[in-house]
Amino acid sequence: MRSRELFSTAFVMCALVGLSGCKSAPPPPDRLSQLIAKGSDLFFNETFGGNGRTCGTCHPAENNFTIDPAFIATLPKDNPLFVAEFNPALKENFENPALMREFGLILENLDGFADLKNTFVMRGVPHVLGLRNSVNSPGGPRTGWSGDGAPGDGSLRSFATGAVIQHFTKTLNRVPGVDFRLPTEDDLDALEAFQLSLGRQQDLVLPLRLKGTVPKRGQEIFLDNKLGKCNLCHVNAGATANLGQGSLGNANFNTGVEELPDQPARLTTQKVPRDDGFRTPGDGTFNVPPLVEAADSGPFFHNNAIETIEGAVAFYDGEAFNKSPAGLTLAKLDPEGKGIELDGTQIVAIAAFLRVINVLESIRQSIMLLEASLAVSSSAERARLLTRAVRETDDSTRVLTGGGLHAEAVAHLHEARRLADRALRSHFFGRKHTEEAIREQKKARAFLVE
Amino acid sequence: MIVRKFVVALVGMSAFLLGSAPAPSAQEMTEQYIPIGQSPGLSGKYTVIGKLQSVNAKEQTCTVAGTTGALNVKITARTKIWLDRSKLQQPNLQGTLADLRPGATVEVKPEGHLRGVSSGPAEWIKVDVASAP
Repeated sequence: MRSRELFSTAFVMCALVGLSGCKSAPPPPDRLSQLIAKGSDLFFNETFGGNGRTCGTCHPAENNFTIDPAFIATLPKDNPLFVAEFNPALKENFENPALMREFGLILENLDGFADLKNTFVMRGVPHVLGLRNSVNSPGGPRTGWSGDGAPGDGSLRSFATGAVIQHFTKTLNRVPGVDFRLPTEDDLDALEAFQLSLGRQQDLVLPLRLKGTVPKRGQEIFLDNKLGKCNLCHVNAGATANLGQGSLGNANFNTGVEELPDQPARLTTQKVPRDDGFRTPGDGTFNVPPLVEAADSGPFFHNNAIETIEGAVAFYDGEAFNKSPAGLTLAKLDPEGKGIELDGTQIVAIAAFLRVINVLESIRQSIMLLEASLAVSSSAERARLLTRAVRETDDSTRVLTGGGLHAEAVAHLHEARRLADRALRSHFFGRKHTEEAIREQKKARAFLVE
Repeated sequence: MIVRKFVVALVGMSAFLLGSAPAPSAQEMTEQYIPIGQSPGLSGKYTVIGKLQSVNAKEQTCTVAGTTGALNVKITARTKIWLDRSKLQQPNLQGTLADLRPGATVEVKPEGHLRGVSSGPAEWIKVDVASAP
C-alpha cells in the first residue's frame, strides 16, 4: 500500500513538474519522479533520528510551506514544533516558545554555537515555493533569509544538513549519530529534487494584461523605475535583481529592516538580538524573496516584522528603508535624488497587484492539484490533492477579500471550493465535481487577467 | 537628458554593488558539527583530507599530506578550527592552532572553491580528535 501511494505521489509530482515546465533539462522522467517521491516522503516523514521534527514541521504543505501564528495556534501541544516546551534537554536556548507562538519566529545560531544564551537570531520561516527561480546568483547559491543558510557548498542540496543540525537535534550537544543522523547523499539528492518541484517553475513575464483598475495601476507603479522602483530588485515580481547591467540573479541587500522601530518581537520583554544577516560577522544584508508567493505567506521580512502585504509595501516608503544602504543607493540613481516616495493609494495599488498575481498562482496550483486528483487511482492520494486544492482556493479567496478585490472572482472561487469539497466527500460524483471545480477556477481567473 | 542621467546612474549603482568579489554563501556555523569527510558538496571535491605532517606555529602554517600530494596551509584570522569528536560520540568543539598536532587526521577547506591547490589560506580545518597523537 505504501509503495502504491509513493508511486501515486511520484506520478502526480512528475505531472505537476511537467505541467509547469522546467527551465533546465530535468533527469529522465522515471528517475525524476522517483527522486521527487522519495524527497516528498523524506520532507514530510523523516525525523533523521532527531527530536521528532521533519522538514514539514516548519514547512507544512497545508500552509504554503511556512508557519505563522494563526497556523501555529491550530497545532496540538505535542506537535514537534513545540519540542522546546516538552523536551527538557531543549528547554533552554533551543527555541523561544513565546516568540514562536506570538510571532511565528524560530531561533537560529547563525553566528555560532559558542554562546547559546546570547548569540542567536529570531527569524520567520520562509516558504520553499518557486525555489527553482530564486536560489541562483553569480556569487553562488543563495538559501535562507540571508542567503547563507546551507553548510558545505552553500547549495539548496546541502541545506537539509544544516537544518538537521540546527533544528532536529535531541540535545544541544548536536552529536551526529547520537542526537540525529545526517542526511545521506541520496537523501540530499531527493530532498533537492522535491524542493525544486514545488511551486512556480518559471518567472512571470510582466506586464500581465490585468483586469481591475487598482491592480492594473499597481502593476504600472511596480514596473515604474522612477516611482515604485520595485522591479529593480524584484524583476517580474520574482527574486532576481537587474539594476541595468543584466540580471544579478538572487541578490542580497541591506534594506534597513533591522532599523524598523517598534518591531513586534522587540516590543516584548524577550531577548531579541540584532540580526546582522549574511555571513559571520554579518554585513547587514538579506536575500531578496520572490513576490508572487508573498500575499499568502506572511508575515513579512526575515523577522516577521510586518503582518500585511500593504504594510510590507509601505515599508519601502519609510525612513528605515530610505536611510538604508539600499535606499540611499536608489536615491543616488534617481534623477531627483529621491528614494521611494509613495502615497497611501499607491501603496495599496501595488499591494493589490501583488494580491492578484498571488491569486493567479494559487489558481494555477489549484487547477493542477484538481487535475492531478483526476489522474490518481489511490483514494488517499486523491483526498490529499483535493484537500490541498481546497486550501489553495481558501487562500485565493482570503487574499482577494483582504484587499477588497474582484468580488465576482471571489464568488466563483467560493463555488470552486464548494465543488472541490463535494468531490472530496463523494464516492460516485467525485470526477464530475472536480471537473466543475476546475471550470469555476478558470472562470475566477478570467476576472483577474485577460 | 534625464533618461541618460538615469541610465548612467543605474550603471553606476550596478558597479557599486558588483564592485567587490562575490562572497561565498555557505553557512559556516553548522559546519562545525559535520564530521570529517561528510561536508555536503565539499568533501571529496574542494577539501583535502590527510595527515598533518608539520605545524609552524610562528608562521601560522601547516602541511597536510593528502592523497594527491602535500598541501601547504596558511592559517589566518578567518580560519575556523574545529575539533571533530564525533567518533567519540562527543560534541564537536572550536579549536585553536595548538590543537593542530602532526600525525592527526585533518580535513582542510581552502578559501574559495578551488580544486587541486597546493598552498593557500584555509577557510576551515577539522581535526579528528580520535586520531590525534
